[in-house]
Amino acid sequence: MEDIKAYIESGILELYVLGDVSPDEKLQVEEMASKHPAIKTELEDIERSMELYAAENAVEPTEHMRDRILNSLVVNLADDNNFPTKAKPVKDNVVTLTPPKQNNFYKYAFAACLALLIASVVVIISISNKLNDANTQLLALNSTNQHFANTVKFMDHQLDVYRDTTFKIIKLHGMPKHTSSTMMVAFSPVKKKVMIDMADLKLPANDKDHQYQLWALVGGKPVDLGVFDKISGDTSDMKEMKSLALAQAFAVTLEPRGGSVNPTMDQMMVIGTF
Amino acid sequence: MSALKNREKIAVEALYDMYSSSLFGVISRIITDTATAEDVLQETFVKIWHSFSSYSTEKGRLFTWMVNIARHLAIDKLRSKDFKNQNKNQELENNVTFIDEQRNTVYKPELLGIKDLVQTLKPEQKLILELVYFKGYTHVEAADELGIPLGTIKTRLRMAILQLRKHFN
Repeated sequence: MEDIKAYIESGILELYVLGDVSPDEKLQVEEMASKHPAIKTELEDIERSMELYAAENAVEPTEHMRDRILNSLVVNLADDNNFPTKAKPVKDNVVTLTPPKQNNFYKYAFAACLALLIASVVVIISISNKLNDANTQLLALNSTNQHFANTVKFMDHQLDVYRDTTFKIIKLHGMPKHTSSTMMVAFSPVKKKVMIDMADLKLPANDKDHQYQLWALVGGKPVDLGVFDKISGDTSDMKEMKSLALAQAFAVTLEPRGGSVNPTMDQMMVIGTF
Repeated sequence: MSALKNREKIAVEALYDMYSSSLFGVISRIITDTATAEDVLQETFVKIWHSFSSYSTEKGRLFTWMVNIARHLAIDKLRSKDFKNQNKNQELENNVTFIDEQRNTVYKPELLGIKDLVQTLKPEQKLILELVYFKGYTHVEAADELGIPLGTIKTRLRMAILQLRKHFN
C-alpha cells in the first residue's frame, strides 16, 4: 500500500495524462492501473481535472469551422466506408455497386458514340468522293452532248443549203496553173446568199501573209465577196460570204491578207460560170 | 461511443459539438495564429477519426486521448520549419491585436471560478503547467529550462494538478 502511495506521489501519473512518458513507462502505468484500483481512481481524477481545466480555457471556434471540419470528415467517412461496407448487408452493397455500373454504361455508350461518329465520317467522305466523281462525269457527258448537239445542228444547217431549191451549186474549176484545184459555191439569187463549201475546198494551203478572196463577175466587173483561208484539216464548215443578188461567174484569187480592192488576175486559182 | 466506432455521421457531429471548443482552447494556447490553429483543429479531428480504433475506454478518458492528439499536432506545427518562417514575417504589434480580437474565450457559467482558480495556483505551479501542457516541453526540458531538479518539476506539476482537482471538487 505504501508502494502505491509513493507511486502516486511520484508524479508519474500526471506525466502519463500529459503524454510525457516513455513507451516503457506508459505500459508500466497502464499495468499498475489495471492491478490497483487506487491508481486507476487517481488517474481518472487527474484526467477529469485536466478535462475541466481545458473546458475552462475553452475557445469556441468560429461557426464556419464546424462545417469545414464536419465536411472534411464526411469526405473521409465516405472514403473509409468503402471498405467496411462490403461486410455490411444489402443496403450498403447497393450503394457501392451502383456507381461502377453507371460508369461502365456511360463509358461504353461514349465509346459506341465515338465509333459511330468515326464510321459516319468515313462514309460521308467516301460518298462525297463518289458524288464528286459523278459530277465530273456529268459535266464531261454534258459537254460531249453539247458538242454532238452543235454538230447535228450544224449538219442540219448544211443540209438546208442543199435542200433549198433556190440555191444553185456552182463548181469552180482550176486554172491551167492549178488544174487540181476545185471548189463549190452555192448561190441563191432569191435569198441573196453566197456560201462556200469549206469541206470540199481543194486549194493549196495559204500562208499567213495571204488569203483567198472570192469574186463575183457582175456585168463584167469583179465584185468582192470576202476572204477565206484554206487550213489543212479544217472542219466541214459552210462559210457564208457577202450578200449578192446577181452574178455571171465566180472566181477565187490569192491576195495579200485582208483582201484587195481589185483581183490580181495572175493569181487566179479557180473560176466557174453561173 | 459505438456510433463512433461504426463511424456514423451523427457521432462526428456530437464529438465536434462536445469537444471542439475545449480542444480549440488548448490549440489556441499553443498556436496564437488563428488560421493555423483552425488548421490544426481540423487535422486533429481527421486524426481522431482515422485512429479511433486505437482508442480504448480502458486506457482512460476519451478527452485525454483527444487532447493529447491535439497537443502533439499543435506542437509539431509550432516546431515545423514552415511555421517558424511564417512567424518571422509577422509583426509583433499586429500579432497582439490580432490575437486579442480572435480570442473569444468562452466562460461557462458553472465554471465562473476560473479567476479564483488562477489565483489559487502558485506562480511556479502555473509556470510548470504552462510549459508542459501548452508549450510542449517534456518535464526533462522544463527542468533544464528552469534549472530545477527533475523531482521538483514532477512535484510541482503534481501539486498544480492537485490544486485543480481540489478546485473542481
